[in-house]
Amino acid sequence: MYGDLGNKLVHHAKRAQNLAHLPPYQTELVRAVTREVRDLEKDLADMLESFEGGFDPHADQAKSCTMLVNHLSIRRNKRCLLAYHRTRTDKLEELVWKGYDLVDLPGQQVSSNSGSNLAATDTSSSSLSPQEEDYVRQYSDLLAAYKGQWTDIDLTGSLEPPRDLFIDVRVLKDAGEIQTEYGAITLTKNSQFYVRQGDVERLIAQGYLQKLG
Amino acid sequence: MSYYDLDAILTDAEKVPCKFELDVPDLGYLDNNPSQGLKAQTPVSLPLWLAELLALSSRTQSSNPEDSAPFLTLEMPKALSNEVVSALKADPRAVALRDQTHNMYGLATRMLDLFEEPEMCAVLRRTFVTRAAETALHARKAGATDDVVRGEGFLSGLEEWERSLFRRAHDGNKACKEWMEGVKK
Repeated sequence: MYGDLGNKLVHHAKRAQNLAHLPPYQTELVRAVTREVRDLEKDLADMLESFEGGFDPHADQAKSCTMLVNHLSIRRNKRCLLAYHRTRTDKLEELVWKGYDLVDLPGQQVSSNSGSNLAATDTSSSSLSPQEEDYVRQYSDLLAAYKGQWTDIDLTGSLEPPRDLFIDVRVLKDAGEIQTEYGAITLTKNSQFYVRQGDVERLIAQGYLQKLG
Repeated sequence: MSYYDLDAILTDAEKVPCKFELDVPDLGYLDNNPSQGLKAQTPVSLPLWLAELLALSSRTQSSNPEDSAPFLTLEMPKALSNEVVSALKADPRAVALRDQTHNMYGLATRMLDLFEEPEMCAVLRRTFVTRAAETALHARKAGATDDVVRGEGFLSGLEEWERSLFRRAHDGNKACKEWMEGVKK
């Protein structure tokens, strides 16, 4: 029946709401729902055309009932599609505020298993649709511009007051060289450092470093 | 209830029994029978988002709202049938609402917008109050005592709204306990 696919999409969104990460974008399902809308729209246009402009909803009740059902199905599908995408963008915004590097992460996955299985990396490369990646990129830019107005406050910093100024961290992924007040440190994988928390907070949030103790 | 609210959308997908008031040759697929047209008075089960507007919109040209004829007539869904309501009247805690529908109160609110049922409204209100108290009690005790077995049946019968209530009560209690421990230090 019409609308069943949209329902499936909303169930996906509902499940995603309770997850910490973002499940893969349902490209197929979204495409199927839009196709359904297009088919319904075409049916409607055909029906209207048969009246040649002189349509009286009360004259042919069965026809107008069919058209109402079609129209309602389209509206329902639209609502499902919008709700699905809205849930995802809400989640994406939340992740951007938390400082996860959404656009970079899939890129690293590709580089780590490229060569071994190219076909598989293509499908698993990203749980975001291209439009969503674009959205994340632009939203990050917006957020960066917004944060840039206040240089002494990190708006995305942790709200927990730190217990110690310095912490032990372990490096999980190579992050290159960073500049601190006490000189430069090179973060190579599996090494440990005793650094100022403020210097590395972002890197912890992005998953490069792990806090110890 | 927002346009984007997922629970509202899922509530809208609940099936409601209804009957078409006229023959519609093109809508046979609503009765799983696409080759034949839909006959008047055939009982079909339609999602609320479709049935509601079909039941509200008038098919005849008439300025008098009293004798407007809708495309179909609605009936109460099974989750709100007399049996369920009288069971709720007897003991609200003994009914597993989730087995009826996942969005019991949402569905009831939508249906009571369409039907005039003050008695059912009162029963459901009492049901929620009684069950909310019981839910809060379980939320406070969850994980703390070995009393869980007794409450398990009740908790698995919670519908979606009550579940979120339970989760919030539980999280609130936990956060409160953590805070109290932090204060003592």
